[in-house]
Amino acid sequence: MMLENNELLKIEALSIQFGGLKAVDQLSFTIHEKEIFGLIGPNGAGKTTVFNCITQFYKPNHGNIYFRNIKDEVINLVDLKVHQVIRQGVVRTFQNVELIRELSILDNVLIGAHIDYKTGVISQALRLPKAVKEEAIYKAKAEEILKKLGIYERKDMLVFGQPYGILKKVELARTFMSDPKLVILDEPAAGLNDVETLQLAKTIRQIRDDFNCSVLLVEHDMRLVMDVCDTICAINFGKFLALGSAKEIQKNPLVQEAYLGKEEHDE
Amino acid sequence: MMKKIKIAFKPWMGFVLFGIVLALIPGLAQNTTFIKSSTIVTIGGTLIFAIAALGLNILLGYSGLISLGTAGFMGLAAYLSAYMTVDLGLPFEVSLIVAVLIPTLIGVLVGLISLKIEGMYLAIATLAVSEILRKTFEEFEFITNGFSGKSARFPQLLGFIQLDRASTYYLIVVVLVIAMLLTYNMMNGQVGRAFNAMRGSESAASAMGVYSLKYRLIAFALATILASLAGVMYVHFIRFAYPSTWNLKLSLDFLAMIVIGGLRSIYGTVLGAFIVFAIPDLFLKQIPFFNQLSYVLNGVLIIVVIMFYPSGLINIGFDIKRLWLKLRKGIHDAGK
Amino acid sequence: MSIFIQIFLRSLETGSVYALAALGIILVFRTSNITNFSQGALGMFNTFVVVSIFNNFGVPLWVAIIGGLISALVIGMMIDLVIIRHTKKVSPVAKQIITLGLIMILVGLAPIFFGVDPLNLPRLIPEGNLTLAGANISYNGLFNILFGLMVMGGLFYILQYTKVGLAIRTTASNEYTARLMGVPTKTVTLGAWAVGSMLGVISGVMIAPTTTVTLNLMDVVQINAFVAAVLGGFQTFYGPVIGAYIIGVVSNLLLFYVSPVWGGQILYVLILLFLTVRPYGLFGKKVVKKV
Repeated sequence: MMLENNELLKIEALSIQFGGLKAVDQLSFTIHEKEIFGLIGPNGAGKTTVFNCITQFYKPNHGNIYFRNIKDEVINLVDLKVHQVIRQGVVRTFQNVELIRELSILDNVLIGAHIDYKTGVISQALRLPKAVKEEAIYKAKAEEILKKLGIYERKDMLVFGQPYGILKKVELARTFMSDPKLVILDEPAAGLNDVETLQLAKTIRQIRDDFNCSVLLVEHDMRLVMDVCDTICAINFGKFLALGSAKEIQKNPLVQEAYLGKEEHDE
Repeated sequence: MMKKIKIAFKPWMGFVLFGIVLALIPGLAQNTTFIKSSTIVTIGGTLIFAIAALGLNILLGYSGLISLGTAGFMGLAAYLSAYMTVDLGLPFEVSLIVAVLIPTLIGVLVGLISLKIEGMYLAIATLAVSEILRKTFEEFEFITNGFSGKSARFPQLLGFIQLDRASTYYLIVVVLVIAMLLTYNMMNGQVGRAFNAMRGSESAASAMGVYSLKYRLIAFALATILASLAGVMYVHFIRFAYPSTWNLKLSLDFLAMIVIGGLRSIYGTVLGAFIVFAIPDLFLKQIPFFNQLSYVLNGVLIIVVIMFYPSGLINIGFDIKRLWLKLRKGIHDAGK
Repeated sequence: MSIFIQIFLRSLETGSVYALAALGIILVFRTSNITNFSQGALGMFNTFVVVSIFNNFGVPLWVAIIGGLISALVIGMMIDLVIIRHTKKVSPVAKQIITLGLIMILVGLAPIFFGVDPLNLPRLIPEGNLTLAGANISYNGLFNILFGLMVMGGLFYILQYTKVGLAIRTTASNEYTARLMGVPTKTVTLGAWAVGSMLGVISGVMIAPTTTVTLNLMDVVQINAFVAAVLGGFQTFYGPVIGAYIIGVVSNLLLFYVSPVWGGQILYVLILLFLTVRPYGLFGKKVVKKV
């Protein structure tokens, strides 16, 4: 049994190098069901690379990524292509909010249901009853999610020109369309003020509680991480530093050394 | 106060209505001197080009893939259909299917290339493909008659209904309306969203499960199907095809049509086709002094439109709406 | 062997024509981010100017050519000042359509100014051949090759070693930053259009004696210039030039040794295959997007 009963994602000796540079070096950690898991480290520590490896946007050189997918099977994500990962139940958000500006909020959210559509091009072109029905089902699901996140009233507005906080929520809504088990948040607090960050913390907990997901939070904002995460893993230079609760991490000398004396640069 | 009656206006009604308006034009030709019978040829040609341009809109406007090869594929379909109906005596329906199928297979091949090559490189690569096709038109004389041009006839449906110019025009209108309708349905559904996602952000699209290879191939297939359809209609309406027609300038014309009309706008594509193709023939040539300058003025028109409406003329609707609202408010305030 | 050398020399001449046109295209592309599809039409129009001056004013050919250069300079500058400068809000695709409009204007005006009959332009050096290792090359051809190399050599020298060239390279690299740093980017674009246009007419004047001066004079040249840019890569100035010479040489070799009809097309197929392996040309680099 590669994964214990309540384990969701286990990365084992994950390594990737670019040229001569080891971006991630023999990293291992485990994320459990319904857990908010934080991944922290100073700038350039390799956090982004880690989750790009998980989602197969980069192919790791070594290591395994065991995941219990939506069908309750244990698979190794390393065997998949990037567009197949979402089907297993892993979704990610983007730091640069990669939404389609010319489409409405609702349409953007519907993109998240892409893999679930069963009707083909021809059925859609002819608007056959099964295509119309399918569209209606996913539209309803999207509207439900938008309601849960509190942005339903904007559903027909174009993404272009929406405030940043709203866009982040739209992106989240998109990820929920695929009923994921693991949501990877890529620096969600970037660009948010204090009030918005508190809101974000609430939303993250909502992901875990209302949508029954685990969250992998990759973040710079320490207060958010310490506030909201159940478990935190700290890395530096692509290597494992420490794992534990917020309190434990804060007291860990290795972690302090990694951050101590460094000027925190905002990206 | 009149109660506002709300009619559920479905998009397909718009397209059908549009088709009806287009179909009325030959009728008007008999009755007014302003619209001559040669107008039918011009407008029919415009609608044919609009079909091909619609395909390019799917490729560039929705999926973000530049192709300068539309002319080559359209020409290939034209020659194939002419050869099959005239030389091989095949029925129109059969030749239509084959003439659309073969270029589409090549188009899908180009789609495969588009996985590795992007942007300007893809544009020139498609141009190279189109030029290879054009050379084929010049050299494969047993099919294309080379520089002398290939002739064809008006379509004969179901083996016995022989069409004439007017009825072929109606056929073109029907084909265009169906193309607009199907394109609308697809672009507003899952396929269209996948195209948009690919265009907007390749990485986000992959993360959402959009398989790039599959959807690029679909995009190229759709675009080539429409271009081929246009090619078949062209050769059976104009009844002649020359190799020199299918050149870079024509491919650029299609690009102009969708940019001027408005990317991702279906009505805009037809509007763009009228501006790029029909205006010089219909209006500019009528003004006596400007006759020789019509080509020049068309170029000026295109430049002016782009500079003032970089997102396409279809947006003129918004400006007109705003102007109308301002007028209404002005009148309302004046009345107080 | 001597035939091979002869073809090779002839190809260098063709290559020069393509290279000059390609350089004109890449100059405008890298400084104002526009693919100038009217490069060929510009060259055609200004070549007509040269022929006109030569035929109607009885001046020596080289004077007429200078007239054409001046015409090219003025027209190129006008295009930038009147049109291109005011296209800040226009998307890159739409900018290409503007160049299509330019084609229509130039192709529309040419018959009005210059008549509809094909015209002839004589060679600069009318007679005389040079024999090199058993191969023949006309003095004119030799002149074209050397002149082409000289022009391009001069331009590359300016690019690499002068302040003007630095301004051009900075603008090409990042227009916004260049402007912020005080580089006169508006002048750079103006210059690029002017020089690009002049390169077009030199190209046209070189090829005109081998055919007649018609509206389609530069059609083949333009397409090959674009293919050269793709082969060499849009990221450098020298890439398209080298690509042009390669196309000149390889297409002539293919035409002679493989197929006199399909030589050019075989080359296109080869380049397409090459692109699938190196999608950014010989010297191009991929711009990596970070997510």
